[in-house]
Amino acid sequence: MAEHLTNFPYLTCMVLSPVIGIAIILFLKEEQKFLIRAVALVSAAVSLGFSIYTFVAYDRALGGLQFVEKYEWVKGFGISYFVGVDGLNAPLLLLTGIVIFTGVLTMWELELRVKEYFAFMLFLVTGVFGVFMSMDIFFFFLFYEIAVVPMYVLILIWGSTRKEYAAMKLTLYLMAGSGLIIPGLLLLYATSGLYTFDLLKLHGVHFSPWVQKLAFVLLLFGFGVLAAMWPFHTWSPVGHVAAPTAVSMLHAGVLMKLGSYGILRIPMYLCPEGFQYWSTLFGLLAICGIVYGVFVGLAQTDLKYVIGYSSVSHMGIVALGLATGTVDGLNGSVFQMFAHGIMTALFFSAVGYIYDRTHTRDIHELGGFCKIMPVASAFFITAALCGAGVPGFASFWAELLVFISAVRVFGIGGLIALASIVVGALFALRVVQNSFYNEPNPKFTHFEDVSPFLGLPRMILIATLILFGIFPSLMLDLIKTAVVPFVSGL
Amino acid sequence: MAMQFSDTTFLACLVTSILPILSFGLIMIFTRENPKLSLAISLTASTIPLIIAWGLLFKYWGIQEPLVYNLRWLYSDMVKIPFGFLLDPTSLLMLTIVATISWLVQIYSIGYMGGDPGFGRFYAFLSLFAFSMLTLSISSGLLQLYICWELVGLASYLLIGFWYEKFSASEAGKKAFVVTRFGDVGFFMGLAFLTIYYGNLEIQQVNSAAVAQAMPAWLITTAALLIFCGVMGKSAQFPIHVWLPDAMEGPTPVSALLHSATMVAAGVYLIARIYPFFSASPEAMTVALAIGTITLLLSSTIGMVASDIKQVWAYSTVSQLGFMIMGLAAGSFFAGYYHLTTHAAFKALLFLCSGVFIHHFGTNDFFIMAAQGGRKLKIPMVTVTIAALALAGIFPLAGFFSKEGILGALAHLDNKIWLFAGLFGAFLTAYYSFRVIFVMLFPREPIFQIAAAHSHAEEAHGGHGHGHGDEHGEEHGVPWVMNLPLLILAFFTLTLGFLQGALEKFLTGHAGHHEISIPLLVSAVGAALAGIGLAWLDWGAKNAKCVGFISRVPVLENFFIQKWYMDHFWRWFLNTIIYGLFSKWFTLNDRRVVDGGVDAVAFSTVGSGRYLSKYQTALLQVNLLFMVLVMAGVGLYLVMGR
Repeated sequence: MAEHLTNFPYLTCMVLSPVIGIAIILFLKEEQKFLIRAVALVSAAVSLGFSIYTFVAYDRALGGLQFVEKYEWVKGFGISYFVGVDGLNAPLLLLTGIVIFTGVLTMWELELRVKEYFAFMLFLVTGVFGVFMSMDIFFFFLFYEIAVVPMYVLILIWGSTRKEYAAMKLTLYLMAGSGLIIPGLLLLYATSGLYTFDLLKLHGVHFSPWVQKLAFVLLLFGFGVLAAMWPFHTWSPVGHVAAPTAVSMLHAGVLMKLGSYGILRIPMYLCPEGFQYWSTLFGLLAICGIVYGVFVGLAQTDLKYVIGYSSVSHMGIVALGLATGTVDGLNGSVFQMFAHGIMTALFFSAVGYIYDRTHTRDIHELGGFCKIMPVASAFFITAALCGAGVPGFASFWAELLVFISAVRVFGIGGLIALASIVVGALFALRVVQNSFYNEPNPKFTHFEDVSPFLGLPRMILIATLILFGIFPSLMLDLIKTAVVPFVSGL
Repeated sequence: MAMQFSDTTFLACLVTSILPILSFGLIMIFTRENPKLSLAISLTASTIPLIIAWGLLFKYWGIQEPLVYNLRWLYSDMVKIPFGFLLDPTSLLMLTIVATISWLVQIYSIGYMGGDPGFGRFYAFLSLFAFSMLTLSISSGLLQLYICWELVGLASYLLIGFWYEKFSASEAGKKAFVVTRFGDVGFFMGLAFLTIYYGNLEIQQVNSAAVAQAMPAWLITTAALLIFCGVMGKSAQFPIHVWLPDAMEGPTPVSALLHSATMVAAGVYLIARIYPFFSASPEAMTVALAIGTITLLLSSTIGMVASDIKQVWAYSTVSQLGFMIMGLAAGSFFAGYYHLTTHAAFKALLFLCSGVFIHHFGTNDFFIMAAQGGRKLKIPMVTVTIAALALAGIFPLAGFFSKEGILGALAHLDNKIWLFAGLFGAFLTAYYSFRVIFVMLFPREPIFQIAAAHSHAEEAHGGHGHGHGDEHGEEHGVPWVMNLPLLILAFFTLTLGFLQGALEKFLTGHAGHHEISIPLLVSAVGAALAGIGLAWLDWGAKNAKCVGFISRVPVLENFFIQKWYMDHFWRWFLNTIIYGLFSKWFTLNDRRVVDGGVDAVAFSTVGSGRYLSKYQTALLQVNLLFMVLVMAGVGLYLVMGR
């Protein structure tokens, strides 16, 4: 991959902006709530601005790795600070920027321990940005752990519904995942003989087949836990339910993508033979996840559980796209990471508004919300339609590409996964009908509809979904610049 | 590409396609609460496409070479999706039909929906529908068509559930979306096969002879049948027709526009659109013929026993769609498509007339309407009779010509059973439509008793049918905005028949060579007249008992009233298979096995920790002993290791 050095440290600024935000917030008093929120918002906005800039300014004709910054750090171990943007991570950086910005806006009404909350959230997002941009495996893993740890605290303090259980479960699961990732990474590091963590240099090494197979499967399951790959998915609905709104948004919207991005960036990139060997199993697990997620979601009555299982299913689509190992499949998969991130953030954001007022998420207890708060309902319904795969939203294109290539590669398996989208539609509309249509529950009729300011984050998310739904090329042409050379190396 | 943007035809298509979606966005975001402004936006965005559609039809009347415009939309690797327009006789005619009926319904709804709190939202959804349906008609590629197809389904979902407070409406919307999705998945699989094995989804390429070389015959049949699944969903063919009758929960203008004239005809249009591809597979054609026939008979029989006027027309729509598919599958492209055209006019008319009655009397039950003097509404009563005559296939109305065309195509088949089925269907159609007409026109003594019984039942049910009928209790005439579309549609119903020759030349490129078969003509008209006659004996005549002939066979009557138990079947399927089997067991598995397994690991860790903690006794001697032992071991290892 060609590397194009940058003359301005865009990426470092992107990742440091939240850190500076944390530093300022730590010096503020808990009573200065507005100031804390404003600082958080500004630092998120700066990151968002940089992510938009890299997305737009990325030279699609040139391709390769752009905005590269590379500084040696620990020479003896071959660790360097090496960040860059290509077609695979540019959409995800943009996604992270959008979700953190809208996430801060969504939590504007928070009153409990505001200072710690925003500090932890910015800490988390620093890790996420870092993972997506790192081209050095050491830093990749370092940022990965930074992203995972604050989750525990965020759920434990600001969560709801069995939060201790969920926080512990989530952390243990992710730690178990890390327990698989470390040996996988070290195996590659040790057998390469180069003493470098540089991803691009490692890519040049031809690992022996058994190393590739072993490392691939370790990393596949290690990252697969975070990507909620079936059957390691049960932590994710529980975690979504317990987490506060913006954390659910970040968690389902961005954090789960760390897993799928990790699979794409490290094991698939470094161990093509391992991928060939395990791809059938990988695809099979993905198909299980897709089908299983919708059916289990169909039986749920808690709005957040419903969304959690829809995430399991949609992340299955991401995994299925990766498992096909085709250009169309990978294009669709990366596109789906982005689209699902935005969609699910919208879902949680919309539910959060309603839950904050009604303090219930039971779909049988809600009802008629279209009458009570038409705008807030429209946000949720839009997300549900997007989740049901209606065209005009970004996720439609992603699913289209993944399913076509899955039918090509996996035959019947692909058809089964495709058929499950009928259930997916039933699943989404069932929730919409129960909570938003029919006669309103008189208990809730006095609540006010969402104000334009509080509606803003949802509007941004919807606008993003529609923008890339109408003009998919804006995204796809960028992804393609990285996917085409990537697949030729598989 | 730059060339295209200076081409007026291309720009005209683009405007036709984009204006309605802009209108949808504007109304939903800004003017939802303002009925007048919303109406103005929506009407502008439907009038301009109307003018353009007719302009294009006249400009390209007699066009030989199709016009194609393509823009780059999404180019992945194997999947390449352009956004474009294909103008040929097939698409131009559909474009005109859709633009016209869409416009008429928007005018009509000014009266029908006036005063509804969701007026703006209603027009936004109509605009969304107009966008998807207009773009669907002139799509250049099958994937673009599929996308519009899904969006049409979305508009249908939103419009059926327009009065979402009503449980039946929200349920019907969901049912429509999910059931048609069922077929659409098949459609999408068909497209996936075409992409994988043929690699091109341009309609012109799919219709070319190259397909037969690229794909083996069995694959063509598979793809055609899968695409036909989509047709079955959208055009409500057996066994997934069950959503359409329920879709009548939507406002009546919606039923007229979406669920009779245009949207449900999209399935038939799709077959017509890729007719060369479809007809390349004789097996697929035979399956389509059989499905169409079953649908025709099933829904006509149910139509005979319904007492809700919209239900009668809904089942009639299902049966006529089956009839169109029979015509196409019998090998006559023109007959099927022509029936689509005439049906669009007279069925929209039937629904809009019924809408006037429903609006006026606040009920859907035509017995009650008749008892309350429905025939006093002159214009609707006359136009509904004209439409019913057309539906029954009486000369010289449009339906006569198109039905005759399909029956002619069926007569050409070797197996005459299809022809007999078609004739029997025509007989039933005439019977059930004139059952309604006679009841309304000549309400005899027994009708009043039936009406009284029905209105009793309705009250017991806590009202049924139209959402805001009661608000319009005061006597008022029918506003002109509702009468005008009736008259225009009646005009089309009267004249379209005489355009048969011209349309055939336009669509197929050569004038029809009709050897008029006297026996066929006699039997076709005979079947229709027999149906009307029987309806007269049962319902219209002075001393009529006003019970259907079918009630002499109570078993059959009950079978028809229960709609052939199809709803029961699907309800069972959903509850027992989807919810009861898959959903329930997967959930249990998730809780007990997957999650339970992990929790078991966690508990056993805690347990073993507890067990090991017994050895943490804090007895100094034990600890020291342990330390000494370990150090000795390490020392031994270091010494020996050297």
